[in-house]
Amino acid sequence: MILLIILIIPFITGLSLLLIRNSAILKLVALISAVANLLVTLSLIFSASVSSYSVDWISFLGTKFTLGYDGISLIMLFLTNLLFPFIVLAGFKRDQNQTPILYALILFTQSALIGVFLAQNAFLFYVFWELALIPVYFILLLWGGEGRRNITLKFFIYTLTGSLFLLFGIIYLYQLTPGSHTTDFSAFYQLNIPSTTQVWLFWILFIAFAIKMPVFPFHTWQPSTYTMAPTQGMMILAGVMTKMGIYGALRFLFPIVPKGVLYWQNTVIIMCLIGVIYASVIAFRQTNLKKLIAFSSMAHISLMAAAMFVMNYYALQGLLFQVISHGVTIIALFYIVNLIGERTGTLDLSQMGGIKLRAPNLAILLLLVILGSIALPLTAGFICEFLMITGLFQQSVWFAVFGGLTMILGAVYMLYAYQRVMLGDLRAGFERIPDIRSLDYIFLIPLIIIILGLGIFPQPLFNMADESVYAMQNFLKPVADSILAIIR
Amino acid sequence: MVGLIPIINIVWLIPAFPLLGFLITGSAYKRLKHRQAGIIASAMVFFSFIASVVLYFVLRSSGQESATVTLFDWIAIYNMNIPFAFLIDHLSLTMMLIITGVGFLIHLYSIGYMSGDERVNSFFAQMNLFTFSMLLLVMGANYLVLFIGWEGVGLCSYLLIGFWFKNPMNNYAARKAFVMNRIGDLGFILGIILLFFTFKSVSFSEVFSQASAFQSGAPVITMITLLLLVGAVGKSAQIPLFTWLPDAMAGPTPVSALIHAATMVTAGVYMIARSSILYNLAPITLNVIIILGLATAILAAVIALRQNDIKKVLAYSTVSQLGYMFLALGLGAYSTAIFHLTTHAFFKALLFLGAGSVIHAMGGEQDIRKMGGLSKTMPVTYVTFFAGTLAISGIPPFSGFFSKDLILSKAFEHSVLLYIVALVGALLTCFYMFRLLYLVFFGEQRLPGHPHESPRVMTIPLVILSILAAFGGVLNIPSFLGGNSNFSNFLQSSVISKAPEEISHSTEIGLILTSLVLLSLVILLAYRTYVRKALVPAEEGKSIFFFNRLIERKFYIDEIYTEVFEKPFGFLSDFLFSKVENTVLDPAVDGIGSATSGFGTLVRRIQRGNISFYLFAMVAGILLFIIFILIV
Repeated sequence: MILLIILIIPFITGLSLLLIRNSAILKLVALISAVANLLVTLSLIFSASVSSYSVDWISFLGTKFTLGYDGISLIMLFLTNLLFPFIVLAGFKRDQNQTPILYALILFTQSALIGVFLAQNAFLFYVFWELALIPVYFILLLWGGEGRRNITLKFFIYTLTGSLFLLFGIIYLYQLTPGSHTTDFSAFYQLNIPSTTQVWLFWILFIAFAIKMPVFPFHTWQPSTYTMAPTQGMMILAGVMTKMGIYGALRFLFPIVPKGVLYWQNTVIIMCLIGVIYASVIAFRQTNLKKLIAFSSMAHISLMAAAMFVMNYYALQGLLFQVISHGVTIIALFYIVNLIGERTGTLDLSQMGGIKLRAPNLAILLLLVILGSIALPLTAGFICEFLMITGLFQQSVWFAVFGGLTMILGAVYMLYAYQRVMLGDLRAGFERIPDIRSLDYIFLIPLIIIILGLGIFPQPLFNMADESVYAMQNFLKPVADSILAIIR
Repeated sequence: MVGLIPIINIVWLIPAFPLLGFLITGSAYKRLKHRQAGIIASAMVFFSFIASVVLYFVLRSSGQESATVTLFDWIAIYNMNIPFAFLIDHLSLTMMLIITGVGFLIHLYSIGYMSGDERVNSFFAQMNLFTFSMLLLVMGANYLVLFIGWEGVGLCSYLLIGFWFKNPMNNYAARKAFVMNRIGDLGFILGIILLFFTFKSVSFSEVFSQASAFQSGAPVITMITLLLLVGAVGKSAQIPLFTWLPDAMAGPTPVSALIHAATMVTAGVYMIARSSILYNLAPITLNVIIILGLATAILAAVIALRQNDIKKVLAYSTVSQLGYMFLALGLGAYSTAIFHLTTHAFFKALLFLGAGSVIHAMGGEQDIRKMGGLSKTMPVTYVTFFAGTLAISGIPPFSGFFSKDLILSKAFEHSVLLYIVALVGALLTCFYMFRLLYLVFFGEQRLPGHPHESPRVMTIPLVILSILAAFGGVLNIPSFLGGNSNFSNFLQSSVISKAPEEISHSTEIGLILTSLVLLSLVILLAYRTYVRKALVPAEEGKSIFFFNRLIERKFYIDEIYTEVFEKPFGFLSDFLFSKVENTVLDPAVDGIGSATSGFGTLVRRIQRGNISFYLFAMVAGILLFIIFILIV
């Protein structure tokens, strides 16, 4: 029942927002709803009992409305409900058009995302997966920046194409299930699909997730979308929706097509590592701050994807840790980017410089977030990067070396960007730039505390995922062992 | 820890003091008065120093050689258990005393040196953060806690090099330092990971006790030591990752003294000495270290010969002295390396602070060709700087003599050729240091103006450091001079040096006499050139000899790095973005899109707005779906 509550709080609040006229009150209501949902989620995380929810839904399809969770879902749920209060808060004291609709859409997205992470049934998963796209599409289309029409269309078609493959995959799996068919994940996990089928089915299922993450070379929708997206839309996309791809891949690929995964494992890891280096190199010379961070995010996500396909304990723990860490870091970064944009009226790095002289506190906070992003020890970023590289190392030393290049390249482009924005002499016209205000502290300080806190005390998050990580890597293990046995 | 007084459990206070100082000065940087910030920061480091001294006596009286204090489990998953723990033994205590002792003097000095700068409070916050990180580095009981400090000092180094951030050159130097360190750090972290997979642990005690199961020359140990070495090469500015250190002089002079001379750059030396048990098992790595160390020592000494910026001379000299420490490490004489690290911390901090005092007096001028005759106007700085010069040149009885002589005699044990090359380096050191001394303090004043002696808050640290630089050698008086190598013996419990092949006392005395004669000749040569003939080095690029120009341009290493790495990286970035991303990948997707829309125009003919057709299509679709489900 508690799961259903978590799922519908944002939806109901979102609906009621449409009735409120005063935009300040409306934002406050949205914030209260998001915070309440976070609290309920925390109580779920700390409660000893496991809850689930199930009712009959479309009986002739054998589809139930089943909500449940394991450690991985819990991490994703925590991420979603942790970030949404901040995403709502990001709009406070800012003039926005059509606030009721905007905030309703934001909260609808939250509901749909929660649904994705809690669904225990592939069909239900798919419904929420698509539902999440719709409000985001409108947020991008109606509140986006320059070129939003074309870019949004591209984004929409791109992800929808991926989804179609996924739908096909789900239907295919559905008709494989024994007896009166079902789309329950648990039934899918029992399927023993022949290896030749798994080899092609892998791509059918993977492509949707590869686009969502995105993994090289399926990423081309991302930089332009991030660049034109409104701050809140960008936060939803980069903070949470990219993790849908990771979550989906974990749910569908490893348990259902483990042989396919093993067959393509090294190919996909190499693809991902190319993405890591490719995005990091490109980020170096970007002149648009948002685009630079879009590429940096892509580099991080690609490393996560590589770690996922290594599929050993360290890599997976590191990956799930990075889910939270990346989400928190990226929304803090985008928030600061937005602050800089508001103050200078530009996001062009060649037009900036010396802002630290006028806004020293903003510079300090930005530096702290950047340190989290480039994985300095005692930030959450370090824990995940260390574990992911350890995991890659177990697979191959070279994977670890190339994955580890993020340590160097991240420092190269991030510090260069920091220098171009904050350091140097003050640009003409920036003399009256204000430092950050109390509202910005309320937004940024908690995020920075999370970044540092998880870097110093990572254990609670490890414990949250521990069991599921074991279970997840065990999907591959018997298959890998049997293959090894054949080789020997 | 049975038998140890519980007081050891408050060891966390030692890093906590500077951390507290950082938090206070950092969070209240707008409110604190400059003097307050300086006093708070210095006091915090002083408290740490006192606590370290207390700890030293506690450990001694307990009769134990080491103690581990675990604060909490940092990472504990599956079979990976990495506690946040401190290891207190003779090696870490030595380092802690250097860091907090020398560090305190430099903090104190900074109160005077930095006064007048508008961001003094940030400066002290960062210096305290540095002290905290450096303490973590040497106190960590496993490689990963060491790595926290390792990267932390790198961050502080970045911040302090770029302290005067209005100047883009400073920011470039700061970034260069950070990135070059990160290159080393990648090697380091991979080494730690390999260490973990080999030993199932990263804590020193576990790893070292298991290491005895490996044979000397085991490939995995060689690999681990080489990877860790990559980290040390980056941090301690050895070939090929040394070019960041001279550029790091862009930071305020106390920073150069603390971070880029006395403490941080010696972290690599510390780490290898700490891992002595592993390195003893890897003869190949030790040979690599000998070659790297000696090559760095000579190369940097040669470059220092023709530098005209007072700080650059000292910077290259630091690189060169670090090379000597590496040489000692490579020879398996780890405690000797730490001894040289200690004396170097004294005399190099002294020299840098002296240089700072000169720069302060000259109103920011750093070109030694424009100085001269300062011995009259700045007597304290002059005398202390003189002491530092004698110490670094290895003139007895100054401290550098003892440590350098020990390295030279170890080199002699290994091979005569090694000894000769190392001796040449020592002579070069002596020459460029006396060149510096003569040009700055002797002869006539070459610039108009009235240089003045620095305030007492700056000269007192100079005096204390000069006493340490002069007499620090007594810590480790070798047996042929009637001493009993206290310092080396003290470290024996934590650092396992390779079995020394004792050379006879007569040989040793012979070696010393040789080097003393040669050193006196070199000093004489420098005296004749720069005092008697009062030669002032020519403008850069004006030299007629190709070799001289080569040295002046630092063998074009910076230029080569720029051309080979930096510029191609920029080109690659542009190329990938404009060519691959924007003309291949992106249009490919759009192409698929437009192909689809072409198909769409075909399909559009079906959509004529005929509702009955839509209904028909819908029903047909549903039927097909049901048939599909029924059949399969």
